Amino acid sequence: MHRRPNVIHRCWTALKRPSAKHSLLALLALGFFSGIIFWGAFNTGMEATNTLEFCIGCHEMRDTVYQEYKETTHYSNRSGVRVICSDCHVPKDWTHKMWRKTKASMEIWGWLTGTINTKQKFEAKRMELATREWERMKARDSIECRNCHSYDAMSSELQKFTPYKKHMEGMAAGKSCIDCHKGVAHKLPKEYEEPM
Amino acid sequence: MRICNRNRVAVFAVAASWLFSGAALAAVDVDGAKALAKQNNCFKCHSITTELDGPAYKKVAEKYRGKATAENRLIEHITSGEKAKFADGHEEEHKIVKTSPPKDKAQIKNLVQWILAQ
Repeated sequence: MHRRPNVIHRCWTALKRPSAKHSLLALLALGFFSGIIFWGAFNTGMEATNTLEFCIGCHEMRDTVYQEYKETTHYSNRSGVRVICSDCHVPKDWTHKMWRKTKASMEIWGWLTGTINTKQKFEAKRMELATREWERMKARDSIECRNCHSYDAMSSELQKFTPYKKHMEGMAAGKSCIDCHKGVAHKLPKEYEEPM
Repeated sequence: MRICNRNRVAVFAVAASWLFSGAALAAVDVDGAKALAKQNNCFKCHSITTELDGPAYKKVAEKYRGKATAENRLIEHITSGEKAKFADGHEEEHKIVKTSPPKDKAQIKNLVQWILAQ
């Protein structure tokens, strides 16, 4: 008895078979425009996950870190410049952004299992979550901070003497922003101790 | 006998000051004060015992010990952005301590009481 090939095999055979109906130009045009539509949709979707509204879509972020951030200078300041979650927590370049997004997909598992779905649970994990983010920032040499701030742009005349002195010492020692500036947009974990 | 009375007075004064500082510390939310100090980067310039860019908190407490205006003076110092004098003679505005929720006087008062109890 003759066995019929399975679905996968039939699909693969159909894909490999040269088109007898459509010209190569038509196929190329179809591929070209399909590619544009795919990448457009992909990037639009990716950018949608970078908005503030997306980040605070869950109460886990909206009721905790978002409320803290709203009281900081990164949310409201005299210059009228505002950074949102993704400015600090998502790399700008595509490769690192994709890697960060892939890792962040694990947060869906955390959401499903309710690891931080109450304030108490969030506080219990705050040190772990903060430490992970500080390590990520340190590994990237605080690039998300340096997208806006730089040692070179600091003016000794406009910056107060003591912070300027500390910044220059930090630069000489090869430190990056996150080495000293922890908890600038959120509360520090209660377990955190300032290095002496 | 007079010396003996003097000694009693001295012992009483020391004991009273210990009791007073102990009671003051007991009323302070130490964890809350330290958390606020950490959040505001106070420990970048101040330590409890060691002189950094700013004076040690023990030295501040010593300076204001027994002064009725101490609490209000320190509250003014850390909330108004007034000039602070540094060891090298230069002056610059002291950082304004921020609380969450904003301008919570109770948290500021607690921090000042903790500093004064050092």
